[in-house]
Amino acid sequence: MNDGDAWDEFAAIYTPVILRLARIKGLQDADADDLAQQVLLAVSRAVEKWEPDASRGRFRTWLQTVANNAILNALTRGVRDRAAANETIDALLQQRPDRNGPDSDLLRTEYRREVFSRAALQIRCEFSDDTWNSFWLTAVDGVDVEVAAVQLGRTRGSVYASRSRVMKRLKEKVEEYADEKS
Amino acid sequence: MLMKNRRATQSCNPELVDDFLADRLSEVQQTEFEQHLDGCGACCEMLQQRTADQMLWNDAKTFLSSSDQVHVKSSADELSQTPQHESLRLDFLAPTDDPRMLGRFAGYEISGVVGFGGMGIVLKGLDPALNRYAAIKVLAPHYASSGSARQRFAREAQAAAAVVHDNVIAIHGVSEFNSLPYLIMPYIKGQSLQKRIDRHGPLSVAEILRIAMQTARGLAAAHDQGLVHRDIKPANILLPENVERVLITDFGLARAADDASLTRSGVIAGTPQYMSPEQARGEGINDRSDLFSLGSMMYAMATGHPPFRAETPYGILRRITDHAHRPIQEVRPDVPLWLCQFIDRLLSKSASDRFASAEEVATLLEECLAHVQQPSVVSLPLMFQPRKEVRWFRKSGVLVGGALIAAIAISLSLRNLVTTNVRQRETNTVETQTQVPTVSDAATSPPIDAELQWHQDDQLDQIESTLNELNRELEK
Repeated sequence: MNDGDAWDEFAAIYTPVILRLARIKGLQDADADDLAQQVLLAVSRAVEKWEPDASRGRFRTWLQTVANNAILNALTRGVRDRAAANETIDALLQQRPDRNGPDSDLLRTEYRREVFSRAALQIRCEFSDDTWNSFWLTAVDGVDVEVAAVQLGRTRGSVYASRSRVMKRLKEKVEEYADEKS
Repeated sequence: MLMKNRRATQSCNPELVDDFLADRLSEVQQTEFEQHLDGCGACCEMLQQRTADQMLWNDAKTFLSSSDQVHVKSSADELSQTPQHESLRLDFLAPTDDPRMLGRFAGYEISGVVGFGGMGIVLKGLDPALNRYAAIKVLAPHYASSGSARQRFAREAQAAAAVVHDNVIAIHGVSEFNSLPYLIMPYIKGQSLQKRIDRHGPLSVAEILRIAMQTARGLAAAHDQGLVHRDIKPANILLPENVERVLITDFGLARAADDASLTRSGVIAGTPQYMSPEQARGEGINDRSDLFSLGSMMYAMATGHPPFRAETPYGILRRITDHAHRPIQEVRPDVPLWLCQFIDRLLSKSASDRFASAEEVATLLEECLAHVQQPSVVSLPLMFQPRKEVRWFRKSGVLVGGALIAAIAISLSLRNLVTTNVRQRETNTVETQTQVPTVSDAATSPPIDAELQWHQDDQLDQIESTLNELNRELEK
């Protein structure tokens, strides 16, 4: 991560993930905002200190590990102090959270949800409305292919073909975001 | 050839499925393949399996059906790169009959997207009843999901609507449509100060002063209402076309200063480049936090970039709290020292070292601007006139100061610095004054360069401005 764009991309994925997790855990919006801020600050501090080191593996993997640790720690701690105080940031980075607890599962799910959502957004412009709707109606909304075909005024075969084209692209895009390895 | 292919597409052929997925079929072949799929459930099944495993299909269904239909991005740049995405993100708009429009919202015909803010999306909409365009700021759906966020948005909008001032964008109404809160503002053609800096680089001294002065006036009006903007930055300053007016926009983060229940965060995804040190530390903020941000903005106008830069938000925050900004004159030597000092004072790490109020800043900037426009008629505000002596004179009273000035000026005049100008101007001086005005005039009309070779210019400037000030005080 050597430029602001990479950071923005990272923050864009993780911010909604953290906000959703915080709300699932019953936090108020304001506290969820603060939690997200603390985590992102902690991670960005870690990034500032990061130096390439072969033993630590790929940067992206490392970054995800740092981010996931910080999120799990933050969820455990809750919002104790609203200030982004240095000791809070240190605590978020240094504690080793339970990587197999329910929070960890929740984080994996919410991260994947965000990745799918972003991937869909990014590939949307590559397809015509009809192609996209063939996919969305049948694969996402669960509409029967026959029904969707009538709705869209297309043949059953073309709906099948269209949704597979979108799905194939979605799969590629989702795989670009390295999955969490825990 | 064609016949052979047709036969191939009409029978079940696993290779054809792979060819289709790898995009290796011609358009004709593809049509034929679709025709075959139409009647062959087995091939449909195979296609589905070879496209992705069942888990991925399940994930797509689970995750995408719960995702927001409207994805609001944090950066306006992403919008310009991918305008096609609007169709996905603007699904909350109702359909319209007008083909030139994107859709309908709350009775407005929406013709475009003006921008994205931290909390929402700004649309351009035509009010058919008034045949007039308005800017409609809609709270982002992922914020609108909870009642408290909606209340907060409404509360902020109402607070902002209470600020009525030439330099603050007006808010015409606050309401809710299909559970999405929105507010109506006038639609104004123009660009943000950020765009202006991006496109044209650093601004002239007069422009810096004019924009900063109007911003300070708008801030003073907001502060009067107990409202701290919290997010003063070039992207939130609108420069309408064809008029020399500056509008503060987006009180989206502004919160009533006494409303303790509201969140104090504001950093989340964006870059906090204009944030004050107390904000960066997560401490309480007040009116003077906006003054720091105004200082950062003036720095950016002068140099083309914000005073504190780093690759991540944390890096920026550390610079804001712990490091001095790089002196402006190192970046742009032609900015006058007094303007650098002005900005330095706004950028004081401690709020109490900044100016007392936006009102004071506005007044001082106005005087500075008048000075720049008419340097020979209007002098700089006293505090930006050079330095120790001035303050000392002030403290010890006009007479002592005057005597000292007189002594200095006389010593200067002994070195043949009194020119014919002095005698010409003597007729203009106030008659009731004795020595001081005469002497001050001697120094107000600067000697020519040749006469000054032995002396440093800035000392003379000091004397000149001090005398100006003395003159003014005596005339009161």
